[in-house]
Amino acid sequence: MTTLDSRPVATPAPDNYLTFTKGILSWVLTLDHKRIGVMYLVAVLSSFFVGGVMALLVRTKLLFPGEVSWMTAEQYNKAFTLHGAIMVFLVIIPSIPAALGNFVLPIMLGAKDVAFPRLNLFSFYLWIIGAVCAVYSLLAGGFDTGWTFYTPYSTTTEAGGVIPVLVGVFILGFSSIFTGVNFIVTIHKLRPPGMTWFRMPLFLWAVYATAIIQVLATPVLGITVALLVIERAFNIGIFDPSMGGDPVLFQHFFWFYSHPAVYIMILPGMGIISEIIAVHSHRHIFGFRFIAFSSIAIAIFSFLVWGHHMFSSGQSPLMNVLFSAITFSVAIPSAVKVFNWLATLYKGSISLNTTMFYGLAFMFLFTIGGLTGIPLAVLSTDIHLHDTYYVVAHFHYVMMGSALIAMIGGLHHWWPKMTGRMFSEFWGKIGCALVFVGFNVTFFTQFMLGSQGMPRRYYAYQPEFQIYHHISTGGAYIMGLGFVITAIYLIHSLFAGKKAPANPWGGASLEWQCTSPPPHDNFSSTPRVGDCYDFSAVHWDEKQQGYVVDTEAHVAAAGKGH
Amino acid sequence: MSHSTSHADSHGHGDHHAHGDHAKYPFLAHHFDTPNQQFESGKLGMWVFLATEVLFFGALFVMYAIMRFKDPQVFSYASQFLDTILGGINTCVLILSSLTMAIGVRAAQTNKKGLLCTCLALTLAGAMGFLVIKYFEYTHKFHENLKWGQAFYHPVNDEEKLELNTEPKPVENPVLTIAAVNPSAGVQPVALAAQPPVDKTAVAAPKAGPDGVSTAAMVEAADAGMHVHHSEEAHLLDPKLPPNTHRFFAIYYIMTGLHGIHVLIGVGVISWLLVMAMRGRFSSDYYTPVDLVGLYWHVVDLVWIFLFPLFYLIH
Amino acid sequence: MLNLIPNLLMQSSSDATLATGQATTPKTFWMPEGASTISREVDWVFNFINYINYFFFVLVVGIMLYFVWKYRQKGREVYARGPSHNTMLELGWTIAPTIIVVVIFFMGFRGFVDMKTPPSNSYQIDVTASKWNWSFKYPNGATSNDLYVPAGKPVKLVMRSEDVLHSFYIRDFRVKQDVVPGRYSSLWFQADEPTGSDKFHWLFCTEFCGKGHSDMNRHVYVLPEKDFDDWVVEQGRWLDKIPAEELYFKAGPQLYARCASCHTLDGKPSTGPSWGNYDGSGNIWQRTDSKTSTHKVDGKSITDLVGDGKAVPNAQSYIRNSILNPGEHLVDGFGNVMPTFRGQLTDKGIDALIGFMQHLDEFDAKGQWTKKPAGTAAAAPAAK
Repeated sequence: MTTLDSRPVATPAPDNYLTFTKGILSWVLTLDHKRIGVMYLVAVLSSFFVGGVMALLVRTKLLFPGEVSWMTAEQYNKAFTLHGAIMVFLVIIPSIPAALGNFVLPIMLGAKDVAFPRLNLFSFYLWIIGAVCAVYSLLAGGFDTGWTFYTPYSTTTEAGGVIPVLVGVFILGFSSIFTGVNFIVTIHKLRPPGMTWFRMPLFLWAVYATAIIQVLATPVLGITVALLVIERAFNIGIFDPSMGGDPVLFQHFFWFYSHPAVYIMILPGMGIISEIIAVHSHRHIFGFRFIAFSSIAIAIFSFLVWGHHMFSSGQSPLMNVLFSAITFSVAIPSAVKVFNWLATLYKGSISLNTTMFYGLAFMFLFTIGGLTGIPLAVLSTDIHLHDTYYVVAHFHYVMMGSALIAMIGGLHHWWPKMTGRMFSEFWGKIGCALVFVGFNVTFFTQFMLGSQGMPRRYYAYQPEFQIYHHISTGGAYIMGLGFVITAIYLIHSLFAGKKAPANPWGGASLEWQCTSPPPHDNFSSTPRVGDCYDFSAVHWDEKQQGYVVDTEAHVAAAGKGH
Repeated sequence: MSHSTSHADSHGHGDHHAHGDHAKYPFLAHHFDTPNQQFESGKLGMWVFLATEVLFFGALFVMYAIMRFKDPQVFSYASQFLDTILGGINTCVLILSSLTMAIGVRAAQTNKKGLLCTCLALTLAGAMGFLVIKYFEYTHKFHENLKWGQAFYHPVNDEEKLELNTEPKPVENPVLTIAAVNPSAGVQPVALAAQPPVDKTAVAAPKAGPDGVSTAAMVEAADAGMHVHHSEEAHLLDPKLPPNTHRFFAIYYIMTGLHGIHVLIGVGVISWLLVMAMRGRFSSDYYTPVDLVGLYWHVVDLVWIFLFPLFYLIH
Repeated sequence: MLNLIPNLLMQSSSDATLATGQATTPKTFWMPEGASTISREVDWVFNFINYINYFFFVLVVGIMLYFVWKYRQKGREVYARGPSHNTMLELGWTIAPTIIVVVIFFMGFRGFVDMKTPPSNSYQIDVTASKWNWSFKYPNGATSNDLYVPAGKPVKLVMRSEDVLHSFYIRDFRVKQDVVPGRYSSLWFQADEPTGSDKFHWLFCTEFCGKGHSDMNRHVYVLPEKDFDDWVVEQGRWLDKIPAEELYFKAGPQLYARCASCHTLDGKPSTGPSWGNYDGSGNIWQRTDSKTSTHKVDGKSITDLVGDGKAVPNAQSYIRNSILNPGEHLVDGFGNVMPTFRGQLTDKGIDALIGFMQHLDEFDAKGQWTKKPAGTAAAAPAAK
C-alpha cells in the first residue's frame, strides 16, 4: 500500500451541497451541516436586522433629551430590552458557532458532517421555537426588564411578555447546549488521520473552548430563567424579597452564565480573526500554541469572574476584591492573542481585501474594547462607571465591534466557499469603512457620556449630554448605511457575482481544498492533513483565478515538522 | 508507507474499510467510518450531555445550600412534613431499577434478548412505581396545603379568595355553617375533626408570615385559624413554625419536580428501548442506545440519592 | 479636524451647565470635576489607566498600521516566511501585562477600601428609594426630596428600597450603591466644597427600575455646616404646617418609617414588640388603652400600670413616655435596646404617632394609609 489517493482532494463535482437535492423539504429536513449552517445564517441575520432596527429606534429617540410624542418611556424600555435580548440570545450567541461554525467546522476538520446531524437539526428548530416565543412575547405585551431580567423588577413588572420570552431564552439555551455537545464530540471523534490537536486550525480551538462554556454554563442560565418564571408565576420566595427571597442571588446566578456567555460570543470571533490574519497575510500564524491555550485559559477563567458585574450590588466587599483580582486574569490571554496577531502581520504578505479590512477593524476595536475593560475591573473606578454609558460603550466594542465584526469578517472570508460566488471588493471596502467609522462615532462618544455620568437605560437625560447623543446617533445611521450596503452587495453577488475558485484567498486549511461550494459529502476521499498555517505549498493559478495547494508538498512539509 | 496511512490503519479508518463497514452495518451513519467510532461518539456525546445535566441540577443544589444556610431552622423544621418511609421506598426502587438497567446493558452486549427485555421491563416498572409514589406524596402535601409561596399561608382557590376579600361573617358554630358558607370548599371530615379549638394559638399564626407580607395576607392567615374551611392548614397553627417555611417547599417542589420530569423522560425512552429490544434491534454489534439510556438512568438515580437525604433526612 | 470637535463639545456642555446651575463642569471629555474627598483618588486611578490605555492603543494600532503598510502584498505569487514563534517574546508579553494589571488592581483596591470605610463620626441620613422617588430623612426627623449635606463632614447614607432595585449615584462624588429591597445598604462621602442652595450636584438612579427610571434624579446641595444646621432645623418643622386633624395620616406614616426597622405592623415581633396584634391582646393602642388588656409589661398586666390614679394616667402618656424614656417600662420578652427619641420628635410628632396608633386599622402592613379601615378582622380578636 503506497498512498491512499494521489488525486487532488478537490475534484470539481457537478453536484454541490446546494444542488445536491432540490425542493423546500430537502432544506427544512436536511441533515447536512452546511445547509443547517446556511439556515442558521439566514435566521441570525434576519434577527440582526430586527435588533438593528430596534437600536436605531432607541438612538433616534435619544436625539431628544425629553419626552417625544412618538415613543413613550414604556415603549423605549421595551425597545432597548428587545434590542438587547435579540442581539444577545438570537444573534451573537448563535452567530459564529451555530451559523459559521456549523458550515465550516466539519470541513476544516476533514469530517463529512458533525457527529450528530439529527441533533444539529433539532437544535436549529429549538432556535426557531425560541425565536417564536420571543415574537409571541411581543404580542403578549412585550417585556421591559432589560435583557438582564433583574429581580424583583422582572417578577413584578406589568409587561405581559416576560414569561414567554423567558421560556424562549430557556429553549434557546438548549439549542446552544446541543450545538456545543455536537461540536465537542465532532472535534474529539471525527478528526481524520493526521489531524492532531496541534494541526487543528485555531478557529476550531476557539469553537471547542466555546463549546465547553456552552455545555457547562448554559444549564445554569436554564435553571435561573426557569426559577424566574416560577417566581413570577407563583411568587415562591426564591428571588422575591417580599417573600423572603434574595434579589442579589438572582444576579449571581444570572451572571454565572452571562459572564461566560460573553466569551461564548467573543472566543469564536477571536478564532475567526486568527484564520483571517494568517490566511490574508499568507504567513504562518505566530505563536500557535499560545493562541490555542489562551482560548482554553479564557474559557476556564470566564467561570470565575461573574461577580465583577456586581461591584455596587451590595455583595460583600471581600467578594468584590476577589472578583476584581480574578477578572484581571482574563485580560492576560486576551492581550496575548492581540500581540500574536500583530506578530503574525510582521514580515507577512498582507492582502488588503475586504476580509482583511474586517480583520484589522477587529484588532482596532477589540484593543479599545479590551483596554476600556480595565477601568471597569478596577474596584474604585468601576463604582463610578458601573451602569453608565461607559459600560454600554465597552460591551458594544467587545460584543459588536469585536464579536459581530469578526462574524461579518468570517462571513466574507467564507462567502465564496458557502455560495460559490465572489462579492464586490469595491463595495465591500466601502461597506466596511462605513461600518467601522459609524461604529466608532457611535460608541466612542458613549465612553465620554459614561465617564461624565450619564446612566444607561435612560429615556430622558440632562441637556448637557445632548451633543454627545447627537453624534452617537449620527454614527448609528452611518453604521446602518454600511450594513445596508453590505447586505445589498452580498445578495447581489449571489446572482451576479463572479464564480468563486476553490481557494480565492490562498488558505491552506482543509476547507479550501474542496470545491466552492463544497460537495454534499465535503470530501470524496479522506483528506490529507498538513499544517494549515504553512503557506509554502500554496501557489497562484492563473487559469483558476485562485490559489491551489500542492497537497504532496504541503503534507510532506508538515511531516518534517517545523 | 506514508504518515497518514499508518494513522489510518491504527484507527481503523480508510476508504476501503469504511465502504465495507457501511455495507456490513446498516446502522452505521454515513459520516462515521466504523461502528466503533460511532459508538464512541455517542458515548462521549452522552457524557457531555450528562455534564450539562449535572450543572443543571448543580445550580439547584447550590440554591438549596444557600437557602439552607440562610434559614437552617426552616429546613430542620419543615423536613418533618416529608414522609421518610415513602421517600426511602422510592430510593430503594430507584437503586433497584439502576441495577436492572445495568444488567440490561450487559444482556444487550451479550446478545441475551430475553434478559434484556425483562430487565428493561423491570426498570420501567421501577420508574413508574417511583412516579406513583411521588404522586401520592405530592397529593398528600397538597391536601395539607403544604404548598409554595403565598399558597402556603392561605388558599389560592378563586372562590375562597373572593370570600376572603369580603367581610368575614361572624359564625356561631363554624362546623355547622361551613356548608352554608362555602359548599364547594371540599373540606374533608378528617380535617374537620383535626381542627383544634379556636384559641390564642390561632392569633399567633401570623408569626409564620414572611417578611413584608401584607397585613391582608396575615389577616387571611389568621382567618385560617378562625374558619374551619381552611383547616387543612393545620401547620399554620403550630407556634413553632419558623418564618419563611414556604421557601422549603418551594425548593422541595422545584428539585423533586425537575427530578420527576427526568424520571418521566426516562419512562419514555425506556419504553422506546423496550419496544426496540422486543423487535430485536439490539445486539453485541449495536447496543449504543441501551448503553446511553443506561448512563442517563444512572445519573437520574444519582440525583435522587442526593435529594433524599437533603430533604427527608435532615434530623 | 480632531481639534474642532472637542471645541464644539466644550462650548455646548458649559452652556448647558450654566443653564442648569450645576456645581461642577466637565473640564475634559472624561470625568466631571470631582467634589468629594475620594474623587481625587478615583480620578487619579482613572487617568493613570487612561494613559496606560493610550500608550497600548497607540502601540498596537501603530504597529498594526505600520506592518500593514510595510508588508502589503505585492503581486499574487507571494509566500511570506516569517518566524512562527519565539518563546521569549511570548513570555515577555504575557508577563509584562500581568505586572501592569497587578499594579492597577492594587490601586483600585486601595481606593475601594477608602470608599467602603465610613469614618465613625459620620452624619447619618436615611434614604428610602421607591418607584420613582428618593426620600431623605435627617436625624432630627426632618425629611426632604433633594439631598442636603453639610460641607466638610463625612456623611453616611443608610438606604433601603420599598419595591425594586434602585441604585444611588452621585457622579461628582464618585459614589454608587445599589439599593436592594429586603436589606439595608450604605455608602459614605465627604464633600468639602459647599455649593450653596443655588448650585447642586446631580443624583441619579442607575439601576433600571421601569417607566420613571430616568426621572429618578435629584439635586444634591452641599451647605456650609452652619447653614446646614439651620436648614435641617427649619426643615424639621414641617409638622407645624399640617393641621391637627390630618396629622395622623399625613405625618404618621412618614414618622413610622423611622420606627419600622424595629416595630412591625403585621403582628410579627422584631427587635421591639409589633404595633400590630401579636400576643392576642390587640394592636398597640388597643392593648394599652383597653381596661381588659392581657398585655404584660414589667412582668405584670398593663392594666395595673395605666389608668386613672395609677402610675401612668392614660395610654397617651404611656406611649409618650415609651418614646422619650424607652427603658422605664419594658414589654415582657423584649430587652432595653430602644434609643430615646428625646430631641428628635416634637410633641406634635408624638401626637401624630399616637394618632397613627389609634387609627392603625386604616394603614397597611407597610404603614401606608389605605384611606378606609383595612377590615374589621384585625380588630375582631381583641373585641371578643
